[in-house]
Amino acid sequence: MRSSYAMNFLMGIYILVFFTYLFGPLIIMSFTAFNSAEFPAITPWECFSFRWFNEGKIAYDGQHLAGLLTDWRLHDGLISSLIIGAGVVCLSVPIGMAAAIVLTQVKSQLRDIYYSISIMPVLFPGVIIGISTVVLWDRIAGLGGGGFISDVGRNGIFLTILAQTCFISTYCFLIFVARLQRFDQTQEEAALDLGASQTQVFFKILIPYLAPAIASAAVIAFLASFENYNTTVFSILSDQTLTTVIASKVRLGISPALSALALTIIALTVIAAVTYEILRRRQERKYLESQEEFVKEKAASSRVNKDYKAGFKVPKGIVALILLVIIGSYVATQIVKNDLYGNSCIEAADTLKKSKFLDQLQTLESNQLSDEDLQGGSLGGNQDYGDIFGDPTLFQDFGGFD
Amino acid sequence: MKSLFFTQPFFQKNGKSVALFFLVAIVFWFIFLVIIPQLYMLDLSFRANIPPLERGGPKDFYTLEHYRHFIFGSKTSADAYNFVDLGVFGRTILVSIFVTIANLAFCYPIAFYIAKIATPSTARLLIVSLIIPFWINELLRSFALRILFANEGVINNVLTGIGILDQGILFITYDVGLYTGLIYAYILLMMFPLYNAIESLDINQIEAAKDLGSSTFRTHWRVVIPHAKPGIVSGCTMVFMLTVGALATPVVLSSPNTLWFPQLIYQWFNLNDNWSRGSAYSIILLIVSVVFVLTMMRIFKVRIGEIIR
Repeated sequence: MRSSYAMNFLMGIYILVFFTYLFGPLIIMSFTAFNSAEFPAITPWECFSFRWFNEGKIAYDGQHLAGLLTDWRLHDGLISSLIIGAGVVCLSVPIGMAAAIVLTQVKSQLRDIYYSISIMPVLFPGVIIGISTVVLWDRIAGLGGGGFISDVGRNGIFLTILAQTCFISTYCFLIFVARLQRFDQTQEEAALDLGASQTQVFFKILIPYLAPAIASAAVIAFLASFENYNTTVFSILSDQTLTTVIASKVRLGISPALSALALTIIALTVIAAVTYEILRRRQERKYLESQEEFVKEKAASSRVNKDYKAGFKVPKGIVALILLVIIGSYVATQIVKNDLYGNSCIEAADTLKKSKFLDQLQTLESNQLSDEDLQGGSLGGNQDYGDIFGDPTLFQDFGGFD
Repeated sequence: MKSLFFTQPFFQKNGKSVALFFLVAIVFWFIFLVIIPQLYMLDLSFRANIPPLERGGPKDFYTLEHYRHFIFGSKTSADAYNFVDLGVFGRTILVSIFVTIANLAFCYPIAFYIAKIATPSTARLLIVSLIIPFWINELLRSFALRILFANEGVINNVLTGIGILDQGILFITYDVGLYTGLIYAYILLMMFPLYNAIESLDINQIEAAKDLGSSTFRTHWRVVIPHAKPGIVSGCTMVFMLTVGALATPVVLSSPNTLWFPQLIYQWFNLNDNWSRGSAYSIILLIVSVVFVLTMMRIFKVRIGEIIR
């Protein structure tokens, strides 16, 4: 018995470590969104501020760091991401549905091949899907000459919708296949026996049955499109989506505005997940209650029919919520008391940094180099590099970047 | 044709308009979005890299130049082989294998716990909390790790602050950040196939094994893992293929002096404007990774139809 306790203990620790690995980075990133420093960090904590959610700041060395509200590139990217997401949903949900329904009608010998082709796009690396779409449409646009076709073929948003539809259709396909496996064929037969046409069966029986799958496929398709980078970065051409904007920002230098963006997305995700979970539980409870009513009606004996009251129970969630509020208010008061929030704190930090910066500038300027130093002397001088591009044979043996 | 492919006559079964819709949708997807672009990219990878205006002209011929370049390097270079590109490619494949194995090892205990040990409500909670991080953009998740692992990042600052280290460790330079990020990126795609496979195992089988005196390890090795094999294979396939083709995580987390193979493709494509060579490298990546996966499936005796179910 002892060993099983030890096992459980180890298992508990492992689960804790695993979820720390999953959530730790996200939580730390969320904290960095509130640090007013230019670099997303926790330990040199400057001031508590919401500036990265609002207007950002102009750094002490004159660099402009935009916050979420003022960053127009992010806004443009968001808009094109939404357009692309809508386009992908409109294309991939019908395609996935059609492919899944046809799968049930394909002969069994062909089913494996058909299935393999359908899931193939998921296994293709995303970059390849993006590249192949771009090269094909570049060719089509080239053949089309001027006018509409060439405009369409060089439109990044259009190409991205096509490229993403290629593999997101498979996600939808899989969702529909899972739902169709539980479909009762006799419903269709009953409708046909009662004189419905095939088209009517499709619209009155199959579509209503698939409605939950349509909804979840649409959500999944939109999310997959919204967060895709590997394919989009090729097919978007000269336009920008949210992900490509984020990528270029990360590459140019990381700013806490990205932490703020991430925190916003995390908050939306958590709210969506919690709402979904609550709705699901409520539905489940309703279902159980209706079952209970059914049993009560059926049962004539008064024993079952007797109403019983459950004892008053405090839900665990509320305890956690109260704890959170207490901790949160304590932290907030401490922050305000120690002057870690507000303009005075930020000003103090900025002047400190500015003076450091000025000190450095002054030391640099005081290090005046004499002509001797430049001509050789103690520092090595710049003579060796003086006429480097005057040499006509310089690039002769250079194979190029090829 | 209808009776060749379908169990019942297709147009009669679905009604004319709906059947037409099905056909158009599927043909559009398979032919237009999947097959033709890939074939055209294959074609392009065998062509010389020329500006669009010269297409169809005398310089537009078929050549193996780009594949030759991948193996032997440019004609002017002194090396016998293209060590840079081959090195990047080999490293990408090896690291992807390592990432796949690490993912499997990390996920197996959790998947088993959720599927077989946890109570239903705990399992539900764990699953929801597993999903939440993966609704967040892959780039932003990598960015979170970057904040941790940067030279002036949280881990280094804390370690030097406490006094354990004098100087920060260069996590990004030694690609520790990249490997962690790659394992992080697709761990969910290992978790769910594994969970589904283990979940379908009858708990009585495990208990029978225990009653017959089998140790925990042996029970897993002889009962659970054989049953979960399709799940393991499909998880490994997805993680491997996605890791090999990853671009977002390496863009954020790889050190400046190492490349991930898709980054190399990106360079040929977008920075050097050599689309043909980018296509050739893509084809190489695609073929090698698909062949690798198929070989693994042959070795472990799993059919392709069992993947992703």
